[in-house]
Amino acid sequence: MNLILFTFIVLLGFTSYYFGRRKAYTIQSSKKRLTALPQFYGYYLAIWCAIPAFIIFSLWAIFEPTIVKLLVLSDYSNQGYLDDELNLIYEKTKSLSRGQFTGEITPFIEASAEKYLSLRSIAQNSKAVIVLSIIIASVAYAYKRISSNSRTREPVEKFLNAVLFTASLAAILTTVGIVFSLIFQTIDFFKVIPLFDFVFGTHWYPAKAFVRDSSEALDPTMYSDTFGAVPIFAGTFFIALIAMCVAIPIGLMSGIYLAEYASSKVRQYAKPLIEILAGIPTVVYGFFAALTVGPFLKELGTSMGLEVSAESALAAGGVMGIMIIPFISSLSDDVITSVPQSLRDGSYAMGATKSETIKRVIFPAALPGIVGSILLGVSRAIGETMIVVMASGLAANLTFNPLESTSTITAQIVVILIGDQAFGDPKTQAAFALGMSLFLVTLCLNIVALRVVKKYREKYE
Amino acid sequence: MKKNGIKMIKIKAKNVDVFYGKKQALYNIGLDIEENQVTALIGPSGCGKSTFLRCLNRMNDVIDICRVKGEILINDFNINDKSCDVVRLREKIGMVFQKPNPFPKTVYENISYGPTIHGMAQSKQEMDEIVETSLKKAALWEEVKDRLHEPGTGLSGGQQQRLCIARAISVRPEVILMDEPCSALDPIATAQIEELIDELKKEHTIIIVTHSMAQAARVSQNTGFFHLGQLIEHGSTDKIFKNPDNTKTQDYITGRFG
Repeated sequence: MNLILFTFIVLLGFTSYYFGRRKAYTIQSSKKRLTALPQFYGYYLAIWCAIPAFIIFSLWAIFEPTIVKLLVLSDYSNQGYLDDELNLIYEKTKSLSRGQFTGEITPFIEASAEKYLSLRSIAQNSKAVIVLSIIIASVAYAYKRISSNSRTREPVEKFLNAVLFTASLAAILTTVGIVFSLIFQTIDFFKVIPLFDFVFGTHWYPAKAFVRDSSEALDPTMYSDTFGAVPIFAGTFFIALIAMCVAIPIGLMSGIYLAEYASSKVRQYAKPLIEILAGIPTVVYGFFAALTVGPFLKELGTSMGLEVSAESALAAGGVMGIMIIPFISSLSDDVITSVPQSLRDGSYAMGATKSETIKRVIFPAALPGIVGSILLGVSRAIGETMIVVMASGLAANLTFNPLESTSTITAQIVVILIGDQAFGDPKTQAAFALGMSLFLVTLCLNIVALRVVKKYREKYE
Repeated sequence: MKKNGIKMIKIKAKNVDVFYGKKQALYNIGLDIEENQVTALIGPSGCGKSTFLRCLNRMNDVIDICRVKGEILINDFNINDKSCDVVRLREKIGMVFQKPNPFPKTVYENISYGPTIHGMAQSKQEMDEIVETSLKKAALWEEVKDRLHEPGTGLSGGQQQRLCIARAISVRPEVILMDEPCSALDPIATAQIEELIDELKKEHTIIIVTHSMAQAARVSQNTGFFHLGQLIEHGSTDKIFKNPDNTKTQDYITGRFG
């Protein structure tokens, strides 16, 4: 029923577009000048047709269930039922009306089921009637307003403006919503776990929190030494550092090669090939790191007499670096290519060689963009999850030995939230606290990146 | 400069052909450039005068599809020869471009760039001297002496172009090539640059490409007229402007085409 009505509104929208345009043509053919192109008249009418109808339609869909429920349950008021019992009665009513009720049928419930069904059908019919009459009224109003000197372009443009504004607002509001949910859960977490313990504690062992039976009262003392985030922050930055040690030199050098040295033919093939690296799903990188690189490093290390864990920070970081290469390479290539040719000419004309020109003129000029691409790479390294979960282990060791396993913020969030979780449990909230810290770190990185870029912009432009 | 009344020839171009891919841009150019004189190259857009200018310091090497044939002798040495070291060549032949293109560095670093890459200064003091003399010669010192360590890109258009000239003369080149150096400047800045060119010719040989007849007449002693990739006529500026041999030259100079 809803689908039919919906389709009907859309179809009517198209039809009114057609009629609006036709009216415009009629006006045109009577040798009068239009104030806008004919299709604006069509859009104008279509908007008047569809938008009020959709607004009523969605408001109805939102409020109908509540109103029906109120009406059905009004029979039970003043009988001393509790809210929970009323809800149960209502659920029984609904399932009986669908013919799915299996328990004992009381006359009361049967009566309410009938009432429910009749209310629903009244609601459906009146919805259709109201929506259709709204369409007729608004289209008639708009159609009458169309004349040779009426304005249609401005309302249509304003409408588009509003649509685009709503779209951007939706994106912003989602972000704000995510941040707020992080904030509230994080605050709840820090009510149980002191901030100091979280920031400076050196033991991260959330499995300990599994032990608690949820019926027991919360006892903050049992969480001491459980949620110390130092090891996982250290692990995060350590693995990101290893990744950047791989990605920055290789990415930058390949970017410089592509931009300055490669012939157009080499560039034509090499650039897409490098960008393929960016298209590999991170889960593939993950098992490449866990099943190929990790064991290889372990064997190599063992043959040299070193003790290497199969899940090492080096394997995860190295593979993560490879994953980041295309971002840095491709972006720095773009940035270097966009340095004006006149600067290169100026430098060559002074007798500078290619490498001198790159080092002394092009690189400084491209620096803001290059720094931007590197910071983007760092953000990715810090936020990367899959590779670390698969290749670097889940135990949060506080270590700076690249051959041992360590864990990161993202991997720990995965550990915490896999399987059953209880809301309001410090263990679950710990994930929010970690997410919040991750968000803050990335935010700071972005602010620093913007500042760096701005500073060099001012200096060089 | 005259030596025993005979003008010294600094650059001698013989049978120069230039191709961009399959398209020929210059046909059999032969031109002598006199030492310590200003030579103007004039002609309508696309006639090849800038291409010829870029042959003289092998800047056409930068363009992949460009090929240069023929001999260009500078101090009797063929720069198109394989044994020619482009880095040394460009140290001797400076260039100033159409649009001012200071490096995104400070005024000081813009000037010290050339001397640094050619290892011309042994100490900070020497470098300071080079920077100061170059800026003085480019008539820019008074304007920028208090802002040597501010970005060169922050100067006005005319100042930027003089900065580029100062940058070019910092390595004491024998020849300075100028590719429409005033086309992006206002009349006052143009007058300053023209005055400067007159001053610079005492120590350097100058070749200037220009679209302004008046400028060519004002600053140059010799003029070459290019048309459709050919050198139609060349000689003393006086003769070219007052009594040209070729009717095309006559037509171009009097503004009948171009």
